[in-house]
Amino acid sequence: MKEHEGFWVFIEQIEGKISEVGLELLSKARELADQKGTYTAAILLGDFSKEDAKKLTHYGADKVFLFSDERLNRYCCLAYSRLITPLVEREKPEALFMGATPLGADLAPRVAAQLETGLSAHCVDLRLGEDGILEQIVPGFGGTMMAVIICPEKRPQMATVMPGVFKKSESHKKGEVIEEEVTLSGEDFIPEAVEYRTKKQKTVPLEGANVVVCGGYGMENEENWKLLEELASVLGGAVGATRPAVDEGWAPEEVMIGQSGKIVRPKLYIGAGISGVMHHVVGIQDSDIIVVINKDPGAQFFEVCDFGVVGDAEKILPALIEKLKERFSS
Amino acid sequence: MPNVVVCVKPIPDPRHWDRLFLDPETGVLKRAGIPPALNPLDKNALEVALQLKERFGWEVTVVSMAPPDTTKALREALAMGADRVYLASDKALAGADTLATAYTLAQLIRKKASPFHLVICGNISLDGSTSQVPAQIAHYLGIPHITHATHVETEDGQLFTITMNIKKGELVFRCTTPFLLAVTKDVNLPRLVNVMGIIAAETKPLEVIDARELELDLDKVGLKGSPTRVRGLFIPEIKRRREILTGEPEEVAEELLNKLHEAGVL
Repeated sequence: MKEHEGFWVFIEQIEGKISEVGLELLSKARELADQKGTYTAAILLGDFSKEDAKKLTHYGADKVFLFSDERLNRYCCLAYSRLITPLVEREKPEALFMGATPLGADLAPRVAAQLETGLSAHCVDLRLGEDGILEQIVPGFGGTMMAVIICPEKRPQMATVMPGVFKKSESHKKGEVIEEEVTLSGEDFIPEAVEYRTKKQKTVPLEGANVVVCGGYGMENEENWKLLEELASVLGGAVGATRPAVDEGWAPEEVMIGQSGKIVRPKLYIGAGISGVMHHVVGIQDSDIIVVINKDPGAQFFEVCDFGVVGDAEKILPALIEKLKERFSS
Repeated sequence: MPNVVVCVKPIPDPRHWDRLFLDPETGVLKRAGIPPALNPLDKNALEVALQLKERFGWEVTVVSMAPPDTTKALREALAMGADRVYLASDKALAGADTLATAYTLAQLIRKKASPFHLVICGNISLDGSTSQVPAQIAHYLGIPHITHATHVETEDGQLFTITMNIKKGELVFRCTTPFLLAVTKDVNLPRLVNVMGIIAAETKPLEVIDARELELDLDKVGLKGSPTRVRGLFIPEIKRRREILTGEPEEVAEELLNKLHEAGVL
């Protein structure tokens, strides 16, 4: 029997546009494959040419398995899984990663069930154990605990990983594109995706922002919330929010940072009026510098900060904004 | 009578999670003494089912897999308006991961709640937060699934239009029954339990079923049937500088900006 070998990544695309998370995962797969002396592969489905698929080799893929068909440009779980599962059964990779995005979270469990293998969700890290088994780090109970999940016997070892956890990186290795036949009928496209609607982006995107200014329940009201927006604008950064602040309606759900929201890794993170539960901390812990502003000196968030300011955000933020304006104008 | 199935999960009441702790000797998570509560999103799933019941006269069957001491939380589903609960509970089912859980729940639905029009789940549980069980139940039942649902519309109770939130946008699906649906909190506002509901719940059937009655393949349930294992649990430790600044707003603002400048982030 063939040994299971190779680290694979499902490349997510939305209406033909490749999502960053797939590229991030490819660079991690590259790292793990190099450690183990094996290869990486990407799976790409959609209306793509061989040349499009070839671009994935620049991000660390040794092989790209391409299912080219315009019907696959729009996500359909059954159709996708009926192509991916037989390919995985034929090629026998040791691991398969997908983004912990809505599409990845919809597809991965179905594929894992078809393969009768293990799957861990919303991983915040992947590493190889001393025995060569993939260790998947998963937050539980709102992030208050971290669990190390393994899949000791079944293959492939499957995981979904939060976007933003790994950095994409370019690679100079040469890879090949393998075109696979698309054998699907109408029955495979159930349920039928009849429409895709984009959402309007109202704010500076959090992803990729160098500075993130984030507020929590302790901002107390919408008036104070505007101070965060002003500080972010002076710093050329984006505004984020915790779950309670989103629930208060001060910020849209799209900018929620934390385990069930976004993961950010800016150069500078400033959090104001945030208690610092793990749910939020897992979303910001890879920031270069963490600044915490809170009037409660006992706030848990101070334990994970680089610089903490004990004081009322309502007073500290305007002082910061003034001083910054002075610095930038002189 | 057409039937809609709602899968629910009793979880340790999130209001008491500060009482969770890791046994330093064994690395086992202790949750003793924390009362069970219905997973919040499961109430949204139940609300979708109850509205269909009101419109089309369907029966609402709740299924769950949990230890037997969770029945109090499951009564809440009956008090909201569900017609009956089937709880799969057996020592053989303990330690199940998502695959083994989904297999067991699918088998429970086959045995006790079939035929059905729809299976509805909450999109994610607050405790495990995997969001994996719904799609895997659908696999074992051999029906399509749609997760991350924010809108559920139907004219006739057969053809449904479902909106899936994919964060960057929305996908609109059309699907005819039977299928499985996993809903987010945006789908509705679950009704509150009232006194009449609580009284009615006392006489509604809540049946506990063991592994033998479910005719489960015992190699596919519980810890034995779970491909994944927990190798360890840890409380994340984050090492940072932790320099705390205090003083008048003007002073600390200046001091902080100097520090940030030194650190090279300004």
